[in-house]
Amino acid sequence: MTDEATQPSRRASRRVGLATNVYVGVVAAVGVCLTAAALRVDGLAFDATFWVFALLAMLTWWFGSMEVDAGRVNLSFTGIVLLAAIALVGPAGAGIIGMIMGPFQQGRAPLRARVFNTGMFAIMGVVGGVAYMAVGGVPGGDARIGTREIVRHIGLPLLFADVVQFVINLVLIAIVVRLAAGLSMRTQMGRLLESAGPAHLGYGVIAFIMVVLWGPARLGAASVFLILPPLLVAQWAYGQYAEEVKGHERALDVLVAAVEAKAPHLVGHSGRVAELSASMAEQLGLRAQTVADVRVAGMLHDLGLTTLPTGLVRSTGVAGGRGLRGYPVRGARLLQGLSFLSGALDAITHHREAVSPDSPPGDELSLPALIVGLADEYDLLTEVGTPDGGLVTSDAAVTLLRGTRAGRDDVIRALEHALSRRTGANAS
Amino acid sequence: MRSLFPQAHRFRAWTVLVVGITVLAAAFYAGGETLLTQLTEHWATVAVFVVAIAVGELFRLRMPSGREAAPLASASALAFVFLGKVDGEPNLDVPVGFVVLVVAVALLIAAVVRGFQDRTVGLDQVAARLIGVGVAAVLARGTRPGGRSLWDLQHDRTVSPSLVALGLVAVAGIGIGVELVLSSSVRSERQRTPWLAALRDEFGEVAPLTLAVVVSGPMVALMAPALGLLSLPVALFPLALTYVAVGRYARNRVTYRQTIATLSHLTEHGGYTPTGHAERVADLSLRIGRVLGIADRDLRDVEYAALLHDLGQISLIEPIPDGATVLAAPSDQRDIADEGARIIRHAEGLERVADYVEAQTTPYRQVRELGEEVPVASRIIKVANAFDDLTGGSDDPASVRAANERIHLGLGYQYDPEVVEALAVATSDTAVGRVGEREPAAR
Repeated sequence: MTDEATQPSRRASRRVGLATNVYVGVVAAVGVCLTAAALRVDGLAFDATFWVFALLAMLTWWFGSMEVDAGRVNLSFTGIVLLAAIALVGPAGAGIIGMIMGPFQQGRAPLRARVFNTGMFAIMGVVGGVAYMAVGGVPGGDARIGTREIVRHIGLPLLFADVVQFVINLVLIAIVVRLAAGLSMRTQMGRLLESAGPAHLGYGVIAFIMVVLWGPARLGAASVFLILPPLLVAQWAYGQYAEEVKGHERALDVLVAAVEAKAPHLVGHSGRVAELSASMAEQLGLRAQTVADVRVAGMLHDLGLTTLPTGLVRSTGVAGGRGLRGYPVRGARLLQGLSFLSGALDAITHHREAVSPDSPPGDELSLPALIVGLADEYDLLTEVGTPDGGLVTSDAAVTLLRGTRAGRDDVIRALEHALSRRTGANAS
Repeated sequence: MRSLFPQAHRFRAWTVLVVGITVLAAAFYAGGETLLTQLTEHWATVAVFVVAIAVGELFRLRMPSGREAAPLASASALAFVFLGKVDGEPNLDVPVGFVVLVVAVALLIAAVVRGFQDRTVGLDQVAARLIGVGVAAVLARGTRPGGRSLWDLQHDRTVSPSLVALGLVAVAGIGIGVELVLSSSVRSERQRTPWLAALRDEFGEVAPLTLAVVVSGPMVALMAPALGLLSLPVALFPLALTYVAVGRYARNRVTYRQTIATLSHLTEHGGYTPTGHAERVADLSLRIGRVLGIADRDLRDVEYAALLHDLGQISLIEPIPDGATVLAAPSDQRDIADEGARIIRHAEGLERVADYVEAQTTPYRQVRELGEEVPVASRIIKVANAFDDLTGGSDDPASVRAANERIHLGLGYQYDPEVVEALAVATSDTAVGRVGEREPAAR
């Protein structure tokens, strides 16, 4: 986010709101006009096919929020219905279907989003439909037979319409995000292209199956029942996966709890170090994956303590792990088999060397190791206690830390910035 | 190539295998004469489907329980069963036997390739699949109520295509159902699980996937008259999405288990418990659980609780000798279990696991006499833990016998007799209670 967006003046935010509203109004008006024009030029048969699609469009209220995810591909039912409608009910019909979908989208979306979606889906329907016909697409209800015929007159035109719809989608959304949140259009479009691009290819194939079953295979509305089960199952599997991932993340909490059971004086320490480390890593501009690795490393940096005799860990008491040697390596060894933690192992192994005065100078330590080491030592000094038992003020701790290997200027600056953000968050 | 043929005493596996071979022989007998002419006529269609089935077989999905499914192969095989008119190719008007032979060839090619890759083959499973396909083929092509088969109706323009589609889906469902019943029967025999429990798990775990498979086969056949052979890859696309999604879910389960296993290593690295103890107890608990017919869904928590049953030792000041809680004082055992449960409760979603760990020390007497509710999972872990503490992980017959006798002494007082009986079954044969024909270390 830009600074402008974080501290908006009231007038500026009102101006942004107005511009967005005007834009949304224009999109909605264009959508309605295009649909009306298509109705006038092309006409529309309000036959059974149309009503089935109208029903499907309303059902996306229920399905629409359910996303089918396979790998990194999100498939929403909306996209499939809107694309198949082009071939089966024509441009005008697809425009109306899009208008029906708009308000039914996203359970709790604000009115403005619903109006915007109504306009956008209508435009996608009509323009997509015109594009379909322009490259030789025929109404899918025609029972055409023959691989070549179908590919030429349904498959390829559908693919083309798919691309056209995607481009419209991309541009209209990028503009609204630019107006409302001030994000650059290029970044936004790049992000959408990456996340939704493969999904649109998926819509293309699934809509194609639906059209072929509906028309040439003469199944009509029954084709919906054939096409839905695999999508619902993929959806189900995604739900299971999401739940498992959440559970898995929580299982890491048990590791932290084990450390705290071993060393009761460290309760809360791991969580604080994780947050501080992640905040520093962000400040230093590390990649998202590295930030996540640093967070986990901060969380689990003391895991090795669990392998030491309880008496020893507790007798060195307030010193945290400072009097103990070798435990970081043991902690890393425990986690070795877990492939999703492989990025965090280096920082866990070397974090003590970053701040320990008697560590052998030699190999350059990695930035994550320095970050975690510094965050760990800072938290020990200010929250857990020094070897002689007392706590140190934040400023004194920073001064002390400047003298360590991790006391590089950039890392110290990141620490200070992270600390100021932390106090800022506490104050608000 | 391991375990190509089932062991001699496995009656059901052999029955399925023999029936499978009979189906093949019958197919050959019925279709053998015209085999060559059919092959020359339909070579392109046959080649495409053989490749699809064989490749689908090689890319099996390993479900969280360790059960394997080959959705792409099943759907392709069913599609071939139903296939009639194919645009650009001659009408696939062939006898049932020909269909079965083609599918059999594809399955056998895949089996041979798997064999060369040193993966498990399990001819009894291949036979179960072939029988399922055979049943579907007989129903779709060979059964003619009113003089016409379902296959004939596909080409009758006076019959509603929706009705035909419904019929095809129903037949596909029956074919897959037969396969699942047979394979669960074979599995329950190997694992010594009650058949009903195996059947419930088989249907329960693969049900969503099966639903997708059951519609994909007919989808191919219905599109083929218009779209030709292209309908196979196109119709398999949604199923492939499903395949990817389910596969990712299953893989995540594997890493989840690894994380839990890491927790169990904490006490081992600290010298509190002997190396491998938690894994052995988990393995044995799972096998006992299967013998008792516990549902797959619940077995996950049994396994996690067994892996973590000694976690509470981590904060002990002085380690127990050899970590053998069975020899520790009852009050110490309880403290350890409580501490373990307390640590586990820090993670949301593992409450049940914590409950199991907590209740593992309760003697069975309290269930019987005081009516105390102790989850069966806890009773299993109690027995499995005692067994491993007593044998020290050795599978030497003498120590296994000694441990079994020692546990028998606590029967009814310490241990649940039903669980002890299941332990005796599980320790009598290493194949009991194992999913897949793999070594335990490979899990």
